[in-house]
Amino acid sequence: MFVHIFRYRLRCLLRDKETFFWTLLFPLLLAVFFHLAFSNLSKAEVFKPINIAVVDDANYQNHHSFKRALEEVSQGDDRLFNLATASRGRCDQLLDNNSIDGYILVENIENINAEKPIRLVVKRSGFNQNIIKSFIDSYLQTESAVKTIIQVNPTKQQQLLNSLDERKQYLTEVSASRAEPDNILNYFYTLIAMACFYGSFLGMREITDIQADISALAARVNTAPVHKLKAFLSSMSASLLIHLTEMLLLLIFLRFVLQVDFGSRTGLVLLTTIIGSLAGVSFGAFISALVKKSEGVKIAVLLGVIMTGCFLAGMMYQNMKYIVSQKAPLLSYLNPVNLLTDAFYCLYYYDSLSRYALNMGILCIFTIFFCLATYSIIRRRRYASL
Amino acid sequence: MIVKVDNLVKRYGDLTAVDHLSLEVHDGEVFGLLGPNGSGKTTTINCILSLLEYDEGEIELFGQPMTPDAYHIKRDIGIVMQNVAVYNELTVYENIDYFCGLYVRDKNLRKKLVHEAIDFVGLADYAKFYPKKLSGGLLRRLNIACGIAHKPKLIILDEPTVAVDPQSRNKILEGILELNKQGATIIYTSHYMEEVERICSRIMILDKGKAIATGTNSELKAMIATGEKITVESNDLSAEQLAAIRELPNIVSAEYNRPLLVIKSSRGANNLETVLDFIKKEGIQFSRIYSELPTLNDVFLELTGRALRD
Repeated sequence: MFVHIFRYRLRCLLRDKETFFWTLLFPLLLAVFFHLAFSNLSKAEVFKPINIAVVDDANYQNHHSFKRALEEVSQGDDRLFNLATASRGRCDQLLDNNSIDGYILVENIENINAEKPIRLVVKRSGFNQNIIKSFIDSYLQTESAVKTIIQVNPTKQQQLLNSLDERKQYLTEVSASRAEPDNILNYFYTLIAMACFYGSFLGMREITDIQADISALAARVNTAPVHKLKAFLSSMSASLLIHLTEMLLLLIFLRFVLQVDFGSRTGLVLLTTIIGSLAGVSFGAFISALVKKSEGVKIAVLLGVIMTGCFLAGMMYQNMKYIVSQKAPLLSYLNPVNLLTDAFYCLYYYDSLSRYALNMGILCIFTIFFCLATYSIIRRRRYASL
Repeated sequence: MIVKVDNLVKRYGDLTAVDHLSLEVHDGEVFGLLGPNGSGKTTTINCILSLLEYDEGEIELFGQPMTPDAYHIKRDIGIVMQNVAVYNELTVYENIDYFCGLYVRDKNLRKKLVHEAIDFVGLADYAKFYPKKLSGGLLRRLNIACGIAHKPKLIILDEPTVAVDPQSRNKILEGILELNKQGATIIYTSHYMEEVERICSRIMILDKGKAIATGTNSELKAMIATGEKITVESNDLSAEQLAAIRELPNIVSAEYNRPLLVIKSSRGANNLETVLDFIKKEGIQFSRIYSELPTLNDVFLELTGRALRD
């Protein structure tokens, strides 16, 4: 009997084009859109050397230390500047046609206390202009400090020069992971979480087809000599199998076609997807059993809850996830979409599994609750009205 | 006794949908539940099937109390719902096989039963069709096939001919009689009196949840005063002549709405002959005269004061 119902439920679900679209094609399409939109965003975050020029005059040529410092930061792959030397007139020209973000003019090398011994000329203020200014300020501060120390205590000259070579970093960046933080990944992880919870459409359908007070078809099934738990389990198994296959296809597409990074814990990523799928399908079954309204109302409720969950998990605005975790931390634990999203990010980023385990534990509790509550509603032996 | 319902009461808030209803269906019967829409037919059926909670009463099927988990009883029941209840994603064959499979585990037996059901309802040419491709009549036949494929001992058909063309309706009614001939006991609900008159061996008339009469077709008709209805089409009838007709033997009533004169007579022989003799004697011109026996609608009308299709 189990196999008989399971086999026919599989056929029904595989031929249901509408559900197939929402549970598989729609997440795939959305993933492609995300990829197109966010790949440019990632490129924008890569640092590019800043185009600058320096006025090539006697002041500059004679200011050996500044000249050397400027040339040093304008060499190599990780250089700060693309440096050009030119006459003042040419520098103005380059600035006017936006070929450079600014140019440097060495005005007074004799008097470091002068108001502007090294000037920066820019057309507008901005991020790149700030970096150039910071470089000049840093140079001037160091130069001033060295000159003052030499004037006050010339015997310390050698010690000073040694200390300049031994700059110490007093802050050390400690990464929680070997992986690089990547905010864009969160969008794809919310998409997987959304796809998991779109499995609720399958769960909803299973309940519609089994509850006599919802459909004539279900009433017919209820008159057959089949235990309700058996019918429920076999049809839910078919839904789960379909949805898990769809989720696997989505993961393969994301990983191998769109090159989305899931970290190195493939087994746990699959386990998370399985639990997410279970949570999604059982959530749909629960809502369907709970809401005694038409199919349209049920779909509206499901979509409303899922999309709100996605929004709070950062699908439309990635900072929302952090806003919720700061302002209303309880909400981030009550939002199953967020739990799933965060679980995927934990697997990617953190070396420790404690946060991942907490997320999955809460999600499992939700899933068990959905299943038990659903069965307690649908096990009703007779209905008050049909 | 196949079905025994004793003092069944089902209320929806203040509305009593089934009001102290008792009925018995015997082995081999085609038992008709006749009543207008909202009279409680479907509610009674749903209570019998243990789908609905009810407030009072007892229901036994095959001599045992009917409960939602009485699977041994359910195994012998076939149900054809008022609304078509099939899967749109499954073909005709698959739908019948699916529902038959809920009752019959043996694959070979099931295959045989499914083919028999398809032949029985005349859907052999449509076996691979999806329900959406079927006409209303064919869809109703599929609905029936899904309910009877497992060869149940008791078949409950709840208004199976609603919105069906006359040809398909005929086919369905013939099929029901054939099932009965093969040994199945049938409960048939309808608000079409012609259908009930045609196929049911015993009939219960329901109104507002109450059984107002039960019996065979002729027993029900015998319950009312009208034995025969004589209709005369004439433009030539005076008030004196109408009064004289009312005084004729066995005449219960005579109403004249030009050109129709409707005379209702009580049971008895030669009523038509008596009326004809009077017309000849008076020299009344008429274009047509005909006599009808009372219908179930007349029974319902006389018992409730309303026509069956009100």
